Amino acid sequence: MKNIIKISWRNLLRYTRRTLLTSSLIAVGVALVIIFGGIGASFKDEVIGTITNSNLGDIQIHKKGYVGSMDNLPLDIVIPEQGLNKIKSLLDANPEVKVYSERIRFGAMISNFVQTTSMRLTAVYPEKESNTCPALTERIKEGNSDPKTFVQPGSIVIPANIAAGMNLKIGDDAVLVATNKDGSVNGVTFKISGISENILGPQGKDGYIHIDDAVSLLRIENGEITEIAVKLNDFDKLKKVYSRLKGELAQIPGENSGKPAFEVHSWEELSPFSSIVKIVTLLIMVVRLVLVSIVLISILNVMMMSVYERIGEIGTIASIGTPPSKILALFLTEGLLLGFFSALAGIIFGTGLLMIVAAAKLNFVFGMMKLSLSPQIPTAEIILSLIIVVVISALASLQPALKASKMEPVEALRHV
Amino acid sequence: MSLLSLANVRKDYLAGDVTVQALKGINLTVEKGKFISFVGPSGSGKTTLLNLVGCLDKPTEGTVTVAGVEVNRMDRKTSAKFRGDNIGFIFQNFNLIPVLTVYENVEYPLIMVQDIALKSRKQRIDDMLDRVGMADQRNKYPSQLSGGQKQRVAIARALVMDPKLVLADEPTANLDHDTAYKVIGLMHQMKKEFNTSFIFATHDQKIVGEAEIVYTMEDGLITKVQANGTAGGGVK
Repeated sequence: MKNIIKISWRNLLRYTRRTLLTSSLIAVGVALVIIFGGIGASFKDEVIGTITNSNLGDIQIHKKGYVGSMDNLPLDIVIPEQGLNKIKSLLDANPEVKVYSERIRFGAMISNFVQTTSMRLTAVYPEKESNTCPALTERIKEGNSDPKTFVQPGSIVIPANIAAGMNLKIGDDAVLVATNKDGSVNGVTFKISGISENILGPQGKDGYIHIDDAVSLLRIENGEITEIAVKLNDFDKLKKVYSRLKGELAQIPGENSGKPAFEVHSWEELSPFSSIVKIVTLLIMVVRLVLVSIVLISILNVMMMSVYERIGEIGTIASIGTPPSKILALFLTEGLLLGFFSALAGIIFGTGLLMIVAAAKLNFVFGMMKLSLSPQIPTAEIILSLIIVVVISALASLQPALKASKMEPVEALRHV
Repeated sequence: MSLLSLANVRKDYLAGDVTVQALKGINLTVEKGKFISFVGPSGSGKTTLLNLVGCLDKPTEGTVTVAGVEVNRMDRKTSAKFRGDNIGFIFQNFNLIPVLTVYENVEYPLIMVQDIALKSRKQRIDDMLDRVGMADQRNKYPSQLSGGQKQRVAIARALVMDPKLVLADEPTANLDHDTAYKVIGLMHQMKKEFNTSFIFATHDQKIVGEAEIVYTMEDGLITKVQANGTAGGGVK
């Protein structure tokens, strides 16, 4: 094998310019896959991180049917206290669950005594919410942004657009008026303790109050909540945890129907921005396909030319007794070496460029999300690219190599 | 037992719609250790005959037996192995592998065909390069050699496999007169040292005198057989 590699390597160097051109093409393709894969993965991570860490959490649990009516923020599709306790015991027993946060979400009117507008509110326990959505308090640009105390009973965090529109400042009073699930209306005065920046998405313009205030405002007497947001220890285990929770929650039947009482959704099912992540994944696939095409066409072309130019030589080695299998191996190895070393060059080039991009820490605004690209070296992408190139090189070399190995020596010798 | 025998060998080619009879019934027996030349004009059937003897082609009719084995029934893989074990080839255009050095060209069949171990391989190559006078050129590539030097390397490559029979098709056609004599002389010397049979095809009448037996071919038939008493005169 060592000698086959030696001869194949020298044959590659025989046509240096052609080999270098082909090799460069493949290397650039591999580098593009790595750069695009690294930046794409970083972009995806940033988008996912922003969405899940700012307000959504990794997973949410609701009463069955809540998500279908989520736009209306219904107060009659709630998780009762008994169900909440069961869910909490499931979450506490799951080692992959880092923390979770109970929420009451509802719609209300906010008034500065002169103007009134509608807004969405999320009532939380501040410390649990901060642990579940660690980037939430980073969005509070004015006022109290302490993760443990950013909302206290009697205080409210409002989004910047409402603050600007109603000329509300930190320390001002505002009245929240809400209708509870029985249809009665109640109003409570709050002090503005924080103003948060706007981000994209249905939950991006939510204001926050303490959950005790929501209980009081909505006159909730029996410990109901509307949702639980869950943060995982390892985001990569999302699907596994999701499946487990889904299975476990399916075992808790509703009081009357006997069907599962609760539903679980991953962030992907809740955020419209998951489609962006899917598009990025799709684009990475397209770049990989382009790489496959480049390698296939380049190697096939080079190897076909190589066989055609060396017909006489093939006749010589066949006539002196080289078995067809070794002639096949010679040309296959040639294609494989070309692919392998081109891919290595591409990996070095691509990784180098990616490290420069990482060091540069590119910051940009996507919609209303401030993203910072610091791509990691995509080890899986590198290994996958190498495997793709080597496998496609072998496939592309196979036909020319078979042609060479099946040549009749007497016919081939006539080409000398 | 004869080394080579051909019985009623015919070979037809299709040239478009026309069937060309390259060999029209050849009967021939060659003993071991002979130095034989086939002479004749182009198209007389010399190369076709060598191709059949060298298991590179199959006859349309008749049988070809080399070293006691009927070779015209072999499949590709078996005939490749048979060639590797029994037959050496020397070509008009030398046909050295351009990416390999002199040493590596001679080494090639020992690795790729006969799978000889490194130590034994090295000894055989060194010995063979010494014998053909190319030991000092061992690290050069074919492009750095003269025509005569290339043919010496080709002879070394053929003989290093210890074949029973060496076939040479127009081995001197691309060499000048003096070099051609030297190459034929070397082949003759190697035949004596290794007791290997040499069969070469040529239309160069000047070097025919080196052969022990000269077969003259015309139009696909052997028309004359001449035993040459002065053959083996060595290098001129």
